[in-house]
Amino acid sequence: MNIELIFQIAGIGILTSIFHTILKQAGKEEYAFIATLAGVSIALIMVVQLLADLLNKVKSVFFLS
Amino acid sequence: MEIFQVVGIGLIGTVLAVFVKERNKEVALLVSLCTGLIIFSFAIAKVGVVIEVMGKMAGSAGVNFYYLETMLKIIGISYVAEFGAQVCRDAGEGATATKVEFAAKVLVMVVALPIFVAVLESILRLIP
Repeated sequence: MNIELIFQIAGIGILTSIFHTILKQAGKEEYAFIATLAGVSIALIMVVQLLADLLNKVKSVFFLS
Repeated sequence: MEIFQVVGIGLIGTVLAVFVKERNKEVALLVSLCTGLIIFSFAIAKVGVVIEVMGKMAGSAGVNFYYLETMLKIIGISYVAEFGAQVCRDAGEGATATKVEFAAKVLVMVVALPIFVAVLESILRLIP
């Protein structure tokens, strides 16, 4: 029951939105969008890893070879 | 009891997802997906124990393991498909959710086909 992954992803989301706002205030729209993209992709990588090992667990439990 | 942990995690995940939602929606979806995954993996571990016991009983009762395995496959397909479809629906993508459920129904039919044929054959044998 590793709960810290939820907090990590929520933290990434908040930091991404903060960077987005800061860069937007500084007038650099493109970098703001790139920062958001980076944040979302990092969170996505972490979630996909968790999804992968969950589906492997389901595969082993339900004989879904 | 683990149910308190599960409810706690669910609530924390929901609050964080709502908190992050108005800033950026993508990560909010990822937070809710991650919460669902953690609770689902916890439940799957428990279901695994139940299935082992059912397998032993079926073995001792002489039931052919193939039927139990097919039934478990169908249950597994429906669990995963329902989980995926629900996440898609949460994100507002009703069409994708329906496609996932449709594919799951097709796969269940494919898995259940041999048993369906076996039942039909046994019925035909009964009719003189």
